[in-house]
Amino acid sequence: MSSHLQLQPLCQLTVGTTARICVIKGDEGFAQRLREMGFGEAALVTKLSGRTTSLCQVNGTRIALNHDAAMAILVEALPAGAR
Amino acid sequence: MILPPHITPTGKKRVAPADRTPVYAMVGNPNCGKTTLFNALTGLRQKVGNYPGVTVEKKIGETYSQHGKPIKIIDLPGAYSLAARSPDEAVLRDVLFGRRADTPQPDRIICVVDASNLERNLYLVHQILDLGRPLIVVLNMMDLAAGAGLRVDAKKLEEALGVVVIPCEAVHGRGLVELKLAMSRVDLPLARHRWDVPAPIAPAVAELQASLTDADARSPLIARAEALLLLTDLDSVRVAGSKALSARTLAVLAAWRQRWAGDGTDWSGTLIRSRYDAINLLCGDVLRRTRDQGPSRSDRIDAILVHSVWGWLFFGLIMAALFFSIFSLAEYPMNWIDAHMAALSGWVADSMAPGDLRDLLTAGVIRGVGGIVVFLPQILILFFFVGLLESTGYMARAAFLMDRPMSKVGLHGKSFIPLLGSYACAIPGIMATRTIENAKDRLVTILVAPLMSCSARLPVYLLMIATLLPAEAVPATTKVGIMLLMYVLGTAGAFGFAWLFKRTLFKSAPALMIMELPPYQPPRLREILRQMIERGWLFLKNAGTIILGISILLWFFSTYPKNPDPTATPDAQIAYSLAGRTGHLLEPVIKPLGFDWRIGIGLVTSFYAREVFVSSMGVIFGVQGKDEDPGAIRQALRAARWPGGAMLFTPLVCFTLMVYYVFAMQCMSTVAVVKRETNSWRWPLFQIAYMTGTAWVVCFIIYQTGRALGY
Repeated sequence: MSSHLQLQPLCQLTVGTTARICVIKGDEGFAQRLREMGFGEAALVTKLSGRTTSLCQVNGTRIALNHDAAMAILVEALPAGAR
Repeated sequence: MILPPHITPTGKKRVAPADRTPVYAMVGNPNCGKTTLFNALTGLRQKVGNYPGVTVEKKIGETYSQHGKPIKIIDLPGAYSLAARSPDEAVLRDVLFGRRADTPQPDRIICVVDASNLERNLYLVHQILDLGRPLIVVLNMMDLAAGAGLRVDAKKLEEALGVVVIPCEAVHGRGLVELKLAMSRVDLPLARHRWDVPAPIAPAVAELQASLTDADARSPLIARAEALLLLTDLDSVRVAGSKALSARTLAVLAAWRQRWAGDGTDWSGTLIRSRYDAINLLCGDVLRRTRDQGPSRSDRIDAILVHSVWGWLFFGLIMAALFFSIFSLAEYPMNWIDAHMAALSGWVADSMAPGDLRDLLTAGVIRGVGGIVVFLPQILILFFFVGLLESTGYMARAAFLMDRPMSKVGLHGKSFIPLLGSYACAIPGIMATRTIENAKDRLVTILVAPLMSCSARLPVYLLMIATLLPAEAVPATTKVGIMLLMYVLGTAGAFGFAWLFKRTLFKSAPALMIMELPPYQPPRLREILRQMIERGWLFLKNAGTIILGISILLWFFSTYPKNPDPTATPDAQIAYSLAGRTGHLLEPVIKPLGFDWRIGIGLVTSFYAREVFVSSMGVIFGVQGKDEDPGAIRQALRAARWPGGAMLFTPLVCFTLMVYYVFAMQCMSTVAVVKRETNSWRWPLFQIAYMTGTAWVVCFIIYQTGRALGY
């Protein structure tokens, strides 16, 4: 199924777009902490700003991720108004 | 009674032993208002800030039940999960599981929940429910939740979890009475919430639980919760004073991990998903969105403050305002203090007969302590600014902005919060590194934090600038410029050494940063004022005790032994004294930097704390003069000469001395804190060596180049 998805790293997501988190790469501890913060697979994330350091909103919380962290999160952008 | 691992006791009442003081632990996510609540309950004044990681160590306070019986409360650092990723989270985990030898295992738990962010906060609550301890859930920040269009039904949550749930707004003092009433209950209920361990990992939980019960002497419920935790606690970040697990438990854990790694079972993911499924089910009943969430006030502010252009502009403005007010605003109270110290000194000189006692009071006490006290206004301004950044939530934004420059040296934005805090004082800065997950990044941040120019350097910088630029006609901007240069030098030094250390001693893959940005809050001026008073008092107390002691000792050592020749000049007297002889021993090492033996004495005494340099100069040069005005240290310094008659404090020497203080490690308290935080003498000694070594080399280059250029 994932082959049909247009996956992109979170850092490349356009500002203002909402996306669904699909894959979390990176080390085990990092992936676990993201999931524990409700930033796990299937969560919806809105990119608020940033090119190198990303500022995102998940479940009403603003979370900053550095470039390497945002590279490790693969998302599928949702069409505008789909949320 | 030993319970099977899949059963959570249902609705059982538990009676706390009436004969001893019950111990409550206060836990919750970072920045959910635990410390505000703790302060409100205990009347204590722990530091509160609006950024994650203000509390990094446990704090213990006491309150009284409704019946007047004492209740102990432990305020613990915030954590998203019991699976610790950083030392501050490990404190929470180890206290709750009774792994800390120095802290009693809490009887009861108050779990503070940010109601505006219920799902994520309930994850920690869900883990804590497993502990089977009597629990009170405090739904804090109900006003923020309502503002965000969320309605949280406390009654339904109470029914679903089976524990007491109290809606609260700790900042406004709402819900505190209800909380105290609940804390006074002897029959706090245990959780009724049922949650089955996912089938693929249940056998592992059972085996670990058995091992923890037998080999680690845990009670059955704690053993079950700890068994569940061990499956997600990947890296047991241990802090000093925590007990280690038994070899048997560690072996069982390793065996299961190996088995799962072999067959591809994602045990941690399974556990987390299963908890979140339960939480989502719960929230479906408890949480209602009354309206769609549009952009909040914080979103609108962030659109400017973290903007790639406006954000930096604002950051620059804040910094400029800080440095300018240290100069221009502080001048009035400083002149006032200076004048009063002079009047006091004059009064003592007039009312006493000449002699050693009068010299001790005027030259030792008033000159030594007065020279320090005069810098109080500037230190207060610095703490006011740092307090403002902390309480509004801007600190986390500064870290966000600084992430990119920090990444160039191999660190990330989170390391910037301790560094920015170190502008005020390196000690809280070094404590704040506990929020950094990566151990190598944390150590690098600890090693470079004291290079950020702290408030104790201000007196030295200001004295040197005043000596360097004597004319009153010199515009304030020039002085600010030199001061800024010192701050830039220190900051560049911190970044440069971080870069060097990350490439040599502490090579590691780039760390991944996740950091929550709290909603903006109006500055809590009372809290900032309280912090300023506290820090100001600490500064004065230090000046009145230890610095006074050093000044008196220094006066003594520079007066005795007395020169046998009664007609000896004051200069010859100091040279003959014990302090003078010590200074002379040091002179060959510091002469290449343009410093003489008298400055050498100041460098030695100010190893206790940098500001002592100013009081020492007051004592050493004050002994020689007859002028009783403490503000005259500057004149005394300008009048100081080398034996050949050349000026000692030339502009070049003043500048070199400032640079020396930028780099040299001159603070006993920092050495002690680094020793404690790194749990070894190796790193503080390394820090002294590399910082003071750098100071010497840089000063040597500046002084010798300056001389060659004819300055």
